[in-house]
Amino acid sequence: MGLIARSIEAAGIPTVSIIGLRDIAEKVRPPRAVHLKWPFGHPLGEPGKRDQQLATIHYALRALYDIRSPGTILDPGWPWRRQEYPVATTLDWELP
Amino acid sequence: MSLGDALKQRFYQVIGRLYTRFPALARGWGRRFEALSFEYVPFVRLEKPLRECRLALVTTGGVHLREQTPFDMRDPRGDASLRVIPATTDHERLSITHDYYDHSDAERDLNILFPLELFRDLARKRKIGALATCYSFMGHIEPPHVETLLKTTAPQVAGMLRQERVDAVLLTPA
Repeated sequence: MGLIARSIEAAGIPTVSIIGLRDIAEKVRPPRAVHLKWPFGHPLGEPGKRDQQLATIHYALRALYDIRSPGTILDPGWPWRRQEYPVATTLDWELP
Repeated sequence: MSLGDALKQRFYQVIGRLYTRFPALARGWGRRFEALSFEYVPFVRLEKPLRECRLALVTTGGVHLREQTPFDMRDPRGDASLRVIPATTDHERLSITHDYYDHSDAERDLNILFPLELFRDLARKRKIGALATCYSFMGHIEPPHVETLLKTTAPQVAGMLRQERVDAVLLTPA
């Protein structure tokens, strides 16, 4: 997936990638990445957990602006379960 | 398919399911995986506010419209082709063909993998400008198909995104 992100960014379009395997991302180096140690097939969280899904999307969208250094991998540190997500599910968000 | 290919494919299926159940095993694989390695990183700044941006989603989770040709699971080296998913597609019209991870949760709620609905909500709430056409791949690609991805299908998606004047892209893996 990092290869696709690099290709899109090389065409002049900013990208942010959710990644589950930091070791691979450190080699392939997608332009911006958010690392979550969650199971395969669940890049944005658990089914039906809108707060988790939206918090991840919100974090990734912010990373589009916050990451200034190419190849940065951000680590929210959210565990797979039992995490409170500080994001409004009503989508009343402050975004850049 | 040769017996060797069939065995390899079966092996990947079993391993893929184990990695979904036990992420620590997947991380061990990630440490050993011989990924292409780069020094240079392409990078462009996003200058507009999100409420003016056309965003697109790209996944490598093997998502496709039910009427599209599924990804080719007979080739254990993967399938580097792409599927075009219109922004207005209802989740019910989508299916997943990718035998190397457990996608039963994503089939129950596609927002965990390819959140077209959530991005349409964001557009309705004017948090983003619009959701543009989205794209899907199957993320298990080995040589010689890596070459096809790098030289043909990834640049093809980049070209279509440019043509539609997409401002930024969120990518999600399997």
